[in-house]
Amino acid sequence: MIEWLSDNTNAGMVGLLFFFSAFCGIAYWAFNPKKKDEIEGHRYIPLEGDEQ
Amino acid sequence: MTSLAEKPNYNDEIVKWFTIATVFWGVVGFLVGVVLALQLAFPALNVGEYLTFGRLRPLHTSAVIFAFGGNALFATSYFAVQRTCRTRLWGDGWSKFTFWGYQFFIVIAALGYVTGVTQAKEYAEPEWYADLWLTIVWVAYLIVFLMTLKNRKEPHIYVANWFFLGFIVTVAVLHLVNNAAIPVSLFSSKSYPLWGGVQSAMIQWWYAHNAVGFFLTAGFLGIMYYFVPKRANRPVYSYRLSILHFWSLIFMYIWAGPHHLHYTALPDWAQTLGMTFSVMLWMPSWGGMINGMMTLSGAWHKLREDPVLKFMIISLAFYGMSTFEGPLMSIKEVNALSHYTDWTIGHVHSGALGWVAFISFGAVYHLVPILWKRNGLYSLKLVNTHLWIATIGIVLYIASMWVTGIMEGLMWRSYDALGFLEYSFVETVQAKFIPYLIRALGGILFLLGSLIMVYNLIRTVRGDTAREPGMVKLEAAHA
Repeated sequence: MIEWLSDNTNAGMVGLLFFFSAFCGIAYWAFNPKKKDEIEGHRYIPLEGDEQ
Repeated sequence: MTSLAEKPNYNDEIVKWFTIATVFWGVVGFLVGVVLALQLAFPALNVGEYLTFGRLRPLHTSAVIFAFGGNALFATSYFAVQRTCRTRLWGDGWSKFTFWGYQFFIVIAALGYVTGVTQAKEYAEPEWYADLWLTIVWVAYLIVFLMTLKNRKEPHIYVANWFFLGFIVTVAVLHLVNNAAIPVSLFSSKSYPLWGGVQSAMIQWWYAHNAVGFFLTAGFLGIMYYFVPKRANRPVYSYRLSILHFWSLIFMYIWAGPHHLHYTALPDWAQTLGMTFSVMLWMPSWGGMINGMMTLSGAWHKLREDPVLKFMIISLAFYGMSTFEGPLMSIKEVNALSHYTDWTIGHVHSGALGWVAFISFGAVYHLVPILWKRNGLYSLKLVNTHLWIATIGIVLYIASMWVTGIMEGLMWRSYDALGFLEYSFVETVQAKFIPYLIRALGGILFLLGSLIMVYNLIRTVRGDTAREPGMVKLEAAHA
């Protein structure tokens, strides 16, 4: 398995699929309507910080 | 242990030091830039061995990127991470070490430049001893930042801190890989790089482009995501878009470096890969710009009233413009005309002056009254004057470089009926004289603006207030 993955001809495609899937997963998580309120709630963090 | 409701005792002393260093190195860097612009127009100004164009050019680029920009990033990241984590910056001694260690790096690097000690790698000129020292300082910075995040009282890590952390980690990796070298001896400043040939070129431009992507973009986006909402007193337009902005920049930027090596010995597939990822970068860059600008949605009047916010929003406009122009120039057919011309210099300065410097000026103007516990800035009118003088300076600079760049690109590729080059190289240099004067004027205006800022900040620190009835109330609201 490790040998197959580290083979130059396979590593590029495996890496591409892995990172592309990871990015799609992040995009799905961020824009999942069920998560909207929770994620958008973090917008207010800088405004709640105490200046002094 | 403090709870969310308690007021943490923030370490603002270290932020003050970095803010002073930002302003000081900024003026030094802009001044050297003006000298270089004049040297290009009037070569007789290359005086002596140590002040020639070749020695001063890396001094300018390092002073503005690493000294001005770097200190601005230290100051703003240390300020923002404490506020968004509701905890004091970890390790007072460590953060002091990052300050003095970083200033020491700047000084030894600068001394190397003027005395001709260089690796001859763009934006990575310092020799092995300075690189090793910077590695130690940078690891200390990473530890301070990570430990502060670890001690946070706010459960969520705010997106500005993701950008700051992405910048710190990636710059460390870039620095280590590109500067891998073997010194001639322990007592020699000279070293030889581990990489050779086209691999060396590829690694150098992977480093240099990501110095732009992570040092001058990701880090300053961290500033944008904290200081724009703070100054506008409104939450960022879309937090979900900021998440997508962060991850798409991280995934894409790292592949864009090969566009610096179009039509070279680099394999064609690598050049096309660099071009493709550069074009794809349009989307996250503009997503981020829109996210920053739309933060003012419903409160655009604040832009009329607050010149500090104006600095920040104009910086986003320049960010959008330079991140449109960059992908355009990475397209091979465009690059065939633009590469090696002054168009590249114009492009770099629209990003460096318009985006990096303007967002830094905005952050510094916001920080100084808070750090020195003043009611507001000495004069918002002077901020406005600085804004317009600097904006006119940038426009003169980049417009003259567009004209010069496209003109010389066309002159270089111009053939006569017999297939001979129509212009000798020196004719293209002579043709650039007037635009070079305009560029120098643009630089002088930008420097003048920064001196106005220095005066305004000194009066602010002294506690003075100019008589500006309409503006005092606004500033007091921010402090």
